[in-house]
Amino acid sequence: MKEGLRQSMAWVHTWSGLLVCWLLLLVFMGGTAAYYKHEITFWMKPELHKAADAPSRVSPAESATLAVRELQQRAPKANAWFLDLPHERNPLIYASWTNPPKKGMTREERRAAFRTQNFTLDPMTGEKTAAPRDTRGGEFLYRLHFDLYYMSAIWGRWIVGIASMFMLVAIVSGVITHKRIFKDFFTFRPKKGQRSWLDAHNATAVLALPFHLMITYTGIVTLMFMYMPAPTKALYGSEQNTMFSEVFPNAERVKPAREFAPLADVAPMLLQAERAWGAAPSRVVVTNPNDANARIELHRPAGQQLSNIEPTMTFDGATGAQLSGPKPMSTSLDARAAIYGLHVAHFADPLLRALFFVCGLAGTAMVATGALLWGVKERQKYAKAIANGGKVGFGVRLVDALNIGAIAGLPIAFAAYFWANRLLPVEMAGRSNAEANWFFIAWGLAALLAQIRPTRAMWRIQLTVGAAMLAGIPALNAFTTDTHLGVTLFGGPGLRPVAAFDLVVLALGLLLGWAAWWLGRKARKQAAAKQPTSTHTTPLEAT
Amino acid sequence: MSILILSGTALAFSGFAATSITMDRHYADIHGRGAEPSPATRLRLRTLGWIGLALSFMACIGASGWHIGPVLWCGILSLAAWSVTLLLQYHPRKVMHGAWIGLPAALLTTALLLR
Repeated sequence: MKEGLRQSMAWVHTWSGLLVCWLLLLVFMGGTAAYYKHEITFWMKPELHKAADAPSRVSPAESATLAVRELQQRAPKANAWFLDLPHERNPLIYASWTNPPKKGMTREERRAAFRTQNFTLDPMTGEKTAAPRDTRGGEFLYRLHFDLYYMSAIWGRWIVGIASMFMLVAIVSGVITHKRIFKDFFTFRPKKGQRSWLDAHNATAVLALPFHLMITYTGIVTLMFMYMPAPTKALYGSEQNTMFSEVFPNAERVKPAREFAPLADVAPMLLQAERAWGAAPSRVVVTNPNDANARIELHRPAGQQLSNIEPTMTFDGATGAQLSGPKPMSTSLDARAAIYGLHVAHFADPLLRALFFVCGLAGTAMVATGALLWGVKERQKYAKAIANGGKVGFGVRLVDALNIGAIAGLPIAFAAYFWANRLLPVEMAGRSNAEANWFFIAWGLAALLAQIRPTRAMWRIQLTVGAAMLAGIPALNAFTTDTHLGVTLFGGPGLRPVAAFDLVVLALGLLLGWAAWWLGRKARKQAAAKQPTSTHTTPLEAT
Repeated sequence: MSILILSGTALAFSGFAATSITMDRHYADIHGRGAEPSPATRLRLRTLGWIGLALSFMACIGASGWHIGPVLWCGILSLAAWSVTLLLQYHPRKVMHGAWIGLPAALLTTALLLR
């Protein structure tokens, strides 16, 4: 039989999607959460909530002065200082520094010196806030979505990169193989079995197609120097770093003069930048502080352009004079920065960020419905065997089990991570790693149980557990902190992220609970319709 | 300019709603099995639908500029299309009534853009 383009593309779509779908679910969920990584980190550090409650009355220039004063006492001889000043998504002053390596240090000691040390200031008082608990917060979820975990980042990035390329293939082949893309544009027919799953897959995929294409393609571009090293190799040989310093507009790195010079006042520089940009800088980097070759770099806050490389202003730290700053970017670098910027969406205001989040959830739903669809279709081949009390094939069983472990199991893992953040002892050693371990303990357990009994009852149990754990987070927060919904909903704007986090996980928990209830209702209906049958071999089929 | 974004969203909804009504399946959902729109109705609604989508694009550009506006528009289009899809399934007649919101939204958008 001669196969048309559509049929062969259907094959490509099915297998490129199925092979990587469970990993893609992790990447999609992690990446979607990462749109709120600052808010998640803030929620996970309840010690900082109190300081953020009052609205900041201190100007950015004053904040920077406060932080510099504190850094002068704690780390006058640091390599570099980094200040994140209060702005829309960050209610506090975050300051950190790296120490210079000394002669005769071992490699380990050098690495330790480079590790940043930090503190947080209350912008109201200029006082140091309570030390937050040791957690990686949203950063863990962000890293997880392209570095994975328990392996070197390079391996993780290759694995995620290959999965992304499969995803890109799946998207393009999916569009080609979808015969009725325009006729079925607005179609969703529930309670029609396989038809409904296909409609749901199409609706989540087609109606957010610009997002899915964009996010997959730009995701690959963010790591293009790793995935496509040939051009750099051809032009620069082994001197990759030369390429980076030539291409990227880093302010020229100056060596310390090893000659003391008092650091100029940063406040006038911030005011100058604010006048030029119409927005106060959100980040200040001081290299070689208190040295004759000190440099102060101010970064414009995101929100005015797609590009993730924001304009900077550079000042001589000893004289306070403005320097010419980094060289202008080439057009191709500008294009890359815009593509990169689209992926990370630093520019997004609250509304646009919410749209990115919803589209990310739609992407998760697209992958999930696609994975379920394979099982639903494949199961039909066994319809006769099942009717005669037989079993489904190994492939269907495996896919069912993986689907349960990923679709129902991953929300449990995310919830476990947040529960661990509140329940592990605050003073515990290696706390941030323990939190991450709980993510994988919960996920591993869910995936294992799914492999042992991939039944419809297992779907219901895991969806219910995930629902209870997510929806229970606001209650958990109320029992373990002073900033529960009763306080955060009526508190200052600084506490809004805490309230929003509680409400969003509650909503996601209710969604999972609804899915569990829907499955249970179906099971009861079927049991009533054809007694007596064994229900435990019936998996997530359509209604 | 959140009013502009709001009216842009209404326009996207209205544009998709008008387009969906011209499709046989959805027309039948609303007007009963077997009903088909006349060619004139089809053309009129389709034209109005495209005008709605184009105006919603302009509203997004007006609200967020040429850099971020198109990104915002894509997100709003997805949101509008999902709303139309769900509404067509559960309350098909509301799609027809809801499409009228495009009229005041178009006037508001034009007024805000020309201001």
